[in-house]
Amino acid sequence: MRIAVGGKGGSGKTTIAATLARALARRGHPVTALDGDPNPNLGVALGVSRERLGSLVRVPKEIIEMKEEGGQRTLVLTRPVEEIFAEYGVSAPDGVNLMVMTGVDHAGAG
Amino acid sequence: MRSLLGELAAGTGGEVTVTDMEASIEHMSRGTIRHVDVLLMVTEPYFRSLETAGRMAPLARELGIGHVWAIANKVRGERDEEIIRSYCEERGIEVGGVVPWDEAVQEADREGRALMDYAATAPAVVAVERIADLIEERVGGRGGA
Repeated sequence: MRIAVGGKGGSGKTTIAATLARALARRGHPVTALDGDPNPNLGVALGVSRERLGSLVRVPKEIIEMKEEGGQRTLVLTRPVEEIFAEYGVSAPDGVNLMVMTGVDHAGAG
Repeated sequence: MRSLLGELAAGTGGEVTVTDMEASIEHMSRGTIRHVDVLLMVTEPYFRSLETAGRMAPLARELGIGHVWAIANKVRGERDEEIIRSYCEERGIEVGGVVPWDEAVQEADREGRALMDYAATAPAVVAVERIADLIEERVGGRGGA
């Protein structure tokens, strides 16, 4: 199941996303939470410890790059998703895995 | 259109992903997040907030997102709920949850704690649990990907 939680800043989406992630994890789902907000607050809302938040490394934009193949340009991940989750994920309570994106995510052409 | 956030939100197939993203019409129109099963549009009982959801919903459906639900948040009483429900009904948007105004949310925030840890039985948490019920029921199974 892949869930996106969107809303205007201040709407409470981060609280809802975090609480939903924890609720689903408590029901036995393996949950990965992704913070794609340019002003990332999901970690605190999830209850990630200050130490872990301090050690968190954001997923660098360079992990995705434009490749040209046979005259076509596409965006490709330079590493498998499983590896990215393992390297950049930090533990949140209830076994939730959290990753935080770097800044504004620009979708590429193609 | 592909994006890093979109790729990660799509996951590996072996877990449940919950992606917190700014509500950008641009995100939707550029297809930043398209490979998800559910889009929850968190909206407050004010026209400007509802308008954002109103614009996102058709774009999200065009991207092929299977379930696009409005989540009414910070709802104080029947009038607030009614405002959101009628706006959504007029536009064919399903309301997937109603989360009440809850002091516990700010209290938890003030202490820098997760709401789930601060007050697991608070009304807002109960409402989110109901959203989790709906998601499990309409999208996936229980206990596992």
